[in-house]
Amino acid sequence: MNKKLALVLIVLLGAGLKSFAQTNSTTGTATAGIVAATKNFLATLDDAQRGKVVFDFKDDAQRKRWSNLPTTIFKRQGLHMGDLTQPQRDAVLAVLAAALSPQGYEKILHIVEGDEVLKKSSGQTIFGRDEYYVSFLGQPSTTEPWMIQFGGHHLGLNITLAGEERTLAPSHTGAQPAIYELEGKTVRPLGRETDKAFALLSSLNQAQRKEAILGFQMRDLVLGPGRDGQTIQPEGIKGSDLTEKQRQMLLDLASEWTGIMHEAVAKAKMDEMRKNIAETYFAWSGPTEQGSAAYFRIQGPTVIIEYAPQRLGGDPTKHIHTIYRDPTNDYGVKWWRR
Amino acid sequence: MVEAVTSAVCRLQLLLALLAVPSAVFAHRDDQYLQATLVAIEPSSVRLQINLTPGVAVAEQVITLIDRDRDGVISTNEAAAYAESLKRDLMLRIDGRKLELKLTASEFVAPEELRTGSGIIQIEFSATPGSLAAGAHRLTLENRHLTTMSVYLINAVPPRVGSIRITRQKRNDNQSTGEIEFTFRPLHPKIAGSGGQS
Repeated sequence: MNKKLALVLIVLLGAGLKSFAQTNSTTGTATAGIVAATKNFLATLDDAQRGKVVFDFKDDAQRKRWSNLPTTIFKRQGLHMGDLTQPQRDAVLAVLAAALSPQGYEKILHIVEGDEVLKKSSGQTIFGRDEYYVSFLGQPSTTEPWMIQFGGHHLGLNITLAGEERTLAPSHTGAQPAIYELEGKTVRPLGRETDKAFALLSSLNQAQRKEAILGFQMRDLVLGPGRDGQTIQPEGIKGSDLTEKQRQMLLDLASEWTGIMHEAVAKAKMDEMRKNIAETYFAWSGPTEQGSAAYFRIQGPTVIIEYAPQRLGGDPTKHIHTIYRDPTNDYGVKWWRR
Repeated sequence: MVEAVTSAVCRLQLLLALLAVPSAVFAHRDDQYLQATLVAIEPSSVRLQINLTPGVAVAEQVITLIDRDRDGVISTNEAAAYAESLKRDLMLRIDGRKLELKLTASEFVAPEELRTGSGIIQIEFSATPGSLAAGAHRLTLENRHLTTMSVYLINAVPPRVGSIRITRQKRNDNQSTGEIEFTFRPLHPKIAGSGGQS
């Protein structure tokens, strides 16, 4: 990605992107907007490229081909962003902009931009904006199920669509570095998640903390990439043992993942989470001082979110992995699997 | 012959690529062996689903333990022997009573994939808890497999049957040992202890 595209991103992150996303939601045909953006991207490709980017919707191997690892370590398929022309890359970003909320789209761009920072600081070409892949399962449709995948190092977006139903589960977000400077501004791709989690923990009284804090180390995600179909017994403090204000804080924290999706879908997911809040758990492992490297998990009947700083030699607060799952509907299976 | 040369070249390329990246920058679980265990408790069985992921820097050590004849292929016998060695390093107890583990499934990816640091070995054991009385019980799992290089996760799976309820989970600091407290309330008391239906 060159300076020209960086400028395009900045413009998209401003008023232009916001108005684009809101136009989609207010017309009530968000899926139609995503389909149109995808068809627009596909139209920019030649036959060979189209053959590489569209997979059969039943291709479970491709469905599960995502990871937190760099693309040289974990091989993706689809089209490599570094092999696309500038208009094609812009068209990929337009697909993401149509499918995601403005803040979700911004988060994704900041994760990718962070990898570019990592590339420059390390001098390693295995990182950076070029090292992301786009792919689709099935044909873009307003009625039939299909899927958008976009990912690379620290990013695995899996968006399944079935008519107006859409889900982001399962998806991985991460950041390294988790804080950097861009255009003179400090960027923290996962900063809101971090701050909201510490705010929620700080709101707990002593008895609540005793319930919430796990007495052992959590060195990694339990249900990260490669753990499809698995689930675990919830731990931590139950939503029913939180105050109303704390329950709102928990939902607001979860919205950092559910809100990556287009607002209509995000609202429906949040309504579902609110309904299940009494059965939703919040667990914490690690230090409790603001800004320290700590693991947390949100787990309810239809959601699992994990946030895990990586203790691998560097500052763990600057290297974060997260996962978002729906144990009842990863990959939107309830809409299409018979 | 051509395949062997190609494979060797691929390995060399991978090694050079990895050596070119400073570990602090590379910053993935390269020097640790992640052993993640899910524990499923049922009235008639306990199942351990273990996912083993060696990082790049320790993959060769793990492969050496598995691919004993160094032919670059993990044979059925080699897989079984490694699973057996893992089994010897696991201690599963219910209420202090040691349970015998039985290998029920395993899936080994090729050494080439393990060397990337993204390959996962999946091994499943089961044990029969014998006669479970109605009431509270404690399952303990200790994992002593390759302790110097390993990172552990132990978690209970939500029970599939209503007669088992997980009440508490505890672990030591590094999760090499986990305790799962659970209750057994047979839905049909007459067949309690027979590993019966629920």
